[in-house]
Amino acid sequence: MSRWNELTKGIIKENPIFFIMLGLCPTLAVSTKVIYGIGMGIAATFVLIGSNIFISLIRNFIPDKIRIPCYIVVIATFVTIVDYILNAYVQPLHKALGIYIPLIVVNCIILGRAEAYAGQNTVLNSILDAIGMGIGFTLAITLIALIREILGSGTITLQMLGYGWVWEVPVKPMTIMVLPPGALLTIGILMGIINHFKQKEK
Amino acid sequence: MEHYLLIIISAALINNFVLSQFLGLCPFIGVSKKMDSAMGMGMALIFVLTLSSIIVYLLDTYLLVRLHLEFLRTTTFILVIAALVQLVEMIIQKVSPGLYHALGIYLPLITTNCAVLGVALLNVSEMNNLLESAMNGFGAGLGFVIALLIMSGIRERMEFSRIPESFKGAPIAFIVAGILSLIFLCFKGFAV
Amino acid sequence: MLKTSISPHIHSPQNIEYAMRNVLIAMVPALLASVYFFGVRALWLEIISILTAILAETLMQLLLRKPVTVSDGSAAITGLLVAFNMPPNIPFYVPVVATALGIIVVKQLFGGLGHNIFNPALVGRVFVMFAWLPEMTTWNVPLHPDWIRHFNLFHINLDSITSATPLAVNKLQGMSALVSQFGSKTQLYLQSFLGNTGGCIGETSELAILIGAFYLFSRKVIWPTVPFVYIITVAVLTALMGQDPLFHILSGGLFLGAFFMATDYVTTPMTLSGSLVYAVGLGLLTVILRLKSGLPEGVSFSILLMNGLTPLIDKLIRVRTYGKQSKRGRDHE
Repeated sequence: MSRWNELTKGIIKENPIFFIMLGLCPTLAVSTKVIYGIGMGIAATFVLIGSNIFISLIRNFIPDKIRIPCYIVVIATFVTIVDYILNAYVQPLHKALGIYIPLIVVNCIILGRAEAYAGQNTVLNSILDAIGMGIGFTLAITLIALIREILGSGTITLQMLGYGWVWEVPVKPMTIMVLPPGALLTIGILMGIINHFKQKEK
Repeated sequence: MEHYLLIIISAALINNFVLSQFLGLCPFIGVSKKMDSAMGMGMALIFVLTLSSIIVYLLDTYLLVRLHLEFLRTTTFILVIAALVQLVEMIIQKVSPGLYHALGIYLPLITTNCAVLGVALLNVSEMNNLLESAMNGFGAGLGFVIALLIMSGIRERMEFSRIPESFKGAPIAFIVAGILSLIFLCFKGFAV
Repeated sequence: MLKTSISPHIHSPQNIEYAMRNVLIAMVPALLASVYFFGVRALWLEIISILTAILAETLMQLLLRKPVTVSDGSAAITGLLVAFNMPPNIPFYVPVVATALGIIVVKQLFGGLGHNIFNPALVGRVFVMFAWLPEMTTWNVPLHPDWIRHFNLFHINLDSITSATPLAVNKLQGMSALVSQFGSKTQLYLQSFLGNTGGCIGETSELAILIGAFYLFSRKVIWPTVPFVYIITVAVLTALMGQDPLFHILSGGLFLGAFFMATDYVTTPMTLSGSLVYAVGLGLLTVILRLKSGLPEGVSFSILLMNGLTPLIDKLIRVRTYGKQSKRGRDHE
């Protein structure tokens, strides 16, 4: 039961974007198409799982004083791996995400989980924590991307490398939604609405 | 000369790093509640951004590229930035306690500011020489300060507004950022 | 003209309805001009925008469990201003979206009347401008006055004759092209002043806007400082840049912006010196955007940017609170 909790807490209760409100920069910049949101989510999840495992493994060997630089090196290594894998196999996605892939390094979620969780917990729990947080992150960014793509381009794109589909939505696309202001307004209003329902629950 | 001025204006207004590229958004929302702290954060950031642009550029050109170690870019850059911030903190503390008092608490926060790493990475791919990189870093910092000052002024005023409970804090801050980003679009020069 | 009170201007609630009612009255000449030049369609745009504003305000206040204050007229003003800022042949959903966004997000989420940081109508306008750029930049030429003889309330289709606005022509082809288009310089000034040019429906007639503005001055609802300093700044700067100053002040949305949107109490500085900074800043930005950016017009952006800077201006130029003594004064007691 508690293992199940480790996994699910990241998806809803402590969802990284809305409830912990971390890791915003990558979310907003690439959320112009649903597929980019999913791609970004998967890339971040991979880094999160890798760094959580590794940090949890070596947590007893790192001197406390220099743990943050050590965490950063571990995270940067996994980010480099993702960067090169995407460049080799999924070029269009690599191009679309651009510098926001290396910027996963400074994503507060990943360093935050390393510091708050993986540095103190067992490997298995750390993996579950990472998967949960990763799925939560992916869901949140995909939701924002979905809203922005439907309103901004009138499509839903789930297509990469020729596989998948693109749906047309019968709305008059508002260009502004795929421009930066659309992202900021979307996340602001979404957060407010979610807060509203959270406060009602209490 | 005009060329370098254009780089600064472009980085500060036209492609404002916070409002149009989302770089440094977390501190932008986090530190913009009070104007004084916004000013301190902004000044510290201009300083670090300019310096890190120069050092990262030198390091990349004369070490990483020469030794074909480009794959180490992300790791090297973030470590250099972290070390640089530490170093700046220590130097300022020794040389000018007054300045340290003003900027001190903001310096550690800058390591995880994605604007610093973002600008370093963009410099490598877009800027051609040392001076261009430095100007781009300076312009990015300037743009951050402009946006942060406007934002903190607005948020101080909103403190007494009757904003709906669920929108207080971060949500309304994002909405203000969205409106500012909308206004900054006029600098883009949409060809009509 | 420069006799201006020290702020705060009007902040007490009993004056709001008086002020709002007078602003609505002052907008009637511009409304009539818009219908005269752009036909029944302009009237429908205005009606639809006002209804959207009233509906959005009521719904939002019910949703937030606040007293419904739609009768104070402020929502109607926002709706009408959005309509004034629309091109004549715009699809009806555009002002609806702009008004709803202005009222719901920019006004109610910021705490309602008196708490908004930005002008709701202008944010709405700029939002839809970047949402549907082609629609927002298609300008129909004014109708031939004959249309009134075949008056029909539901005749909402305009002829498809479009042309660039005078400001755009000036920017792309230069002044000489404009003069030859209108026949002579005098004709250009006269038609611009009367409103017989392409543009947003409520902004073309400077004459109608001036009538409304002088009504507001006489009722002491707005003070003339900001609008006149703004317009004079634009004139001086355009002259310095080698442009025709008279053409620039009679074109585009300058008069509508200066008299009806830059004079809003809440979104402008509280002190006299603050409003001077504000007005000069408006003029400076407008001229820069008109002459140097990719946009032909910059009034909306200038006002919004200065709205955003207003808290900073107020903070830097503080007003001494009335009744508070200076240190020396207290020492003497």
